Amino acid sequence: MSFSSWIELIASGLITGGIYALVALGLNLQYGLMRILNIAHGEFLMVGAFITWMVQTSFGLSPLWMIPVSFALLMAIGVAVHWLCFRRLTATSPNLDVFEARGLMVAFGLMFLVQNAISWIWGGDLRGYDFLTQPVAIPLPGGQAQFAVNKLLVFALALLFAGGLIALLRMTLLGKGVRALMQSPVGAQLVGIDTRRLHPLMFGIGLGLSGVAGCLLSMAYTISPSMGEPYTVTALIVITLGGFGSMGGALAGGLLLGVIEALGMHFTNPSLKALLSYVVFIGVLLLRPEGLFARKTRKA
Amino acid sequence: MVNTNRRVMIQRTAATVGALSVAPQLLAQSAPVRLGYSMSRTGPWTGGAQTSQEPNYLLWAEQQNAAGGLDVKGVRRRIELISSDDRSDVETVVRTYQKLMGSDKVDLVLPPWGSNANFATAPLANRFGYPFLAPTALSRRLIEMKLPYFFSLLQQPKPMCDAVVDMLKANGVKTVACIYVDDLFGLENYAALKVALQGTGIQLVEDKSYPGGVKDLSPTLRSIKDKNPDAFVGFTYPPDTILASRQAKEIGFNPKFFYASVGTAFPLYKNVITAAGAEGVLGMGSWNSKTSAGAKAYFDAHVASQKKEPDRWASGACWAGLEILTSAVKAQGLDRKAIRDYVAGTTHKTILGDIRFEGSENVGTPGSVGQWQNGEFEVVWPAKIATARLNPNKPAWK
Repeated sequence: MSFSSWIELIASGLITGGIYALVALGLNLQYGLMRILNIAHGEFLMVGAFITWMVQTSFGLSPLWMIPVSFALLMAIGVAVHWLCFRRLTATSPNLDVFEARGLMVAFGLMFLVQNAISWIWGGDLRGYDFLTQPVAIPLPGGQAQFAVNKLLVFALALLFAGGLIALLRMTLLGKGVRALMQSPVGAQLVGIDTRRLHPLMFGIGLGLSGVAGCLLSMAYTISPSMGEPYTVTALIVITLGGFGSMGGALAGGLLLGVIEALGMHFTNPSLKALLSYVVFIGVLLLRPEGLFARKTRKA
Repeated sequence: MVNTNRRVMIQRTAATVGALSVAPQLLAQSAPVRLGYSMSRTGPWTGGAQTSQEPNYLLWAEQQNAAGGLDVKGVRRRIELISSDDRSDVETVVRTYQKLMGSDKVDLVLPPWGSNANFATAPLANRFGYPFLAPTALSRRLIEMKLPYFFSLLQQPKPMCDAVVDMLKANGVKTVACIYVDDLFGLENYAALKVALQGTGIQLVEDKSYPGGVKDLSPTLRSIKDKNPDAFVGFTYPPDTILASRQAKEIGFNPKFFYASVGTAFPLYKNVITAAGAEGVLGMGSWNSKTSAGAKAYFDAHVASQKKEPDRWASGACWAGLEILTSAVKAQGLDRKAIRDYVAGTTHKTILGDIRFEGSENVGTPGSVGQWQNGEFEVVWPAKIATARLNPNKPAWK
């Protein structure tokens, strides 16, 4: 295999991994910060994808315009869902373990609710549109690599959002509060961090990120009401790889998983993709349960 | 006076007894014909089910009811469809049909979508004695089960792969690469392709399976591109058909023959890949509105009623199955054994041409290949049912 073929293969893995990372970031924010294992994360991603598709096909508007709209809309839905469901659970659960178990049940309910609502509104058909699918060639030593413009765009935006979120958490006072909350919820409350405002806000941002991921995915893939579930599973693997609550870890974990899958599919068989993912997942759980990239003392 | 009263009383009693003896039959004749089915409205099978199958069931019931009802041996009876969502889950499909046939005792059933669901329910329908005219079951193993009440309308893997290989051989193809989804559909078609290639001199340079719901085929396509085959054959489902096409375009893999399976004949394919992008792409297809006058009438009625075009493969088979069922009920009434015998022993005139069954297999419709040309999915192989000439050099992806 030539040098350029290697680069092309690894780059295609990184592109897929960038999408994984973006999907995982929102879930990591919710689980890492609030211990809400939002199994419905992929369903909200699907909402972002459907809204983008509808606007693109009905009004001919560029899907790029839908990135901020999806973020804002899903963030508003996230704040509302938190206010309706998880705020009450926080108040009534005797401890964090009970809250986590109850939250998981609520998230399951949300998953069916959202999936069926979208099926009811738009039906179960596959949907899609053509957007920047033309390939662009990138010259490399010994050849060239070729990628679709929409994939490169999705990758760049996924990195941008991941970087933006990491910067927000590391460089702002809000981020400091969030990180404090991740490290010690009780300690954070003792020093005056308002969890009643921070929790819904972060849950909303998590869902907003899923909306952005859905918007970006609709540019490159076909969409359907059942598209969300596999992304939730992938996101869970990625945040386990990266370490719960670690945003940098989620980004690195997503990229790593994408590259492992690409190399594995090339040298073995695509049917072994799930096996490869789960071998990595189980291996990390056994050998380094805190995640590959998480430091025990400091996260994000 | 007494005599008159007695006479009137006898007359009224006779009339009442007569009415009571005839009434149940009259009531039964005016009662609707109850047809049950389960259909994927949620879950991964939905795309196929809501393109190739359920819209046709709805259109058929609508047309029959508009004409006064289904002709049951000369008596028009309204059709009542009893349906539910199976969530793309085989167990739900089986339970639904058990209920429909076992406890609801509907008059007839219509099959579910897909090879897997039909594989699970066809033996059940056979046990209950319900004729099962399946439009979307593509499995040799189902045919080999020799179920007397099961009839598969779609061309099976062997004739479909024979048609593809005939076409490739006739056009000088020397090398072919294949990917296939690792389920019943993909495995059976892949096996049929390998058998069809034997003795043709065409070399299979690459063959790889992939899991359903795959999100990235580019590593596999890149390794296929490196081997530069003359033809690519994919036994794929709709999302993978579109994914493989998009990623082939992305990496610049453009063999002379690019063939994908389920979904290539869907209007969605043209919408997503665009008409210019789809030009020259081959796939499983067996009809379009040029095939026959009946096909044109069906196509137009589908668009008018369901507000979307039917696909150019399984939708045609589905409609042909409903045409056969309509004729059978007209000739035999609702006697299910008689319907079964009628379906098995008759050559049926349908929009796809003559259909007749050998065992469970439709041997009237030959294996065929379709190709996107100027925004229409044309039948290009074999010549006897072609609606357009094959373009043997796929243009570059646009």
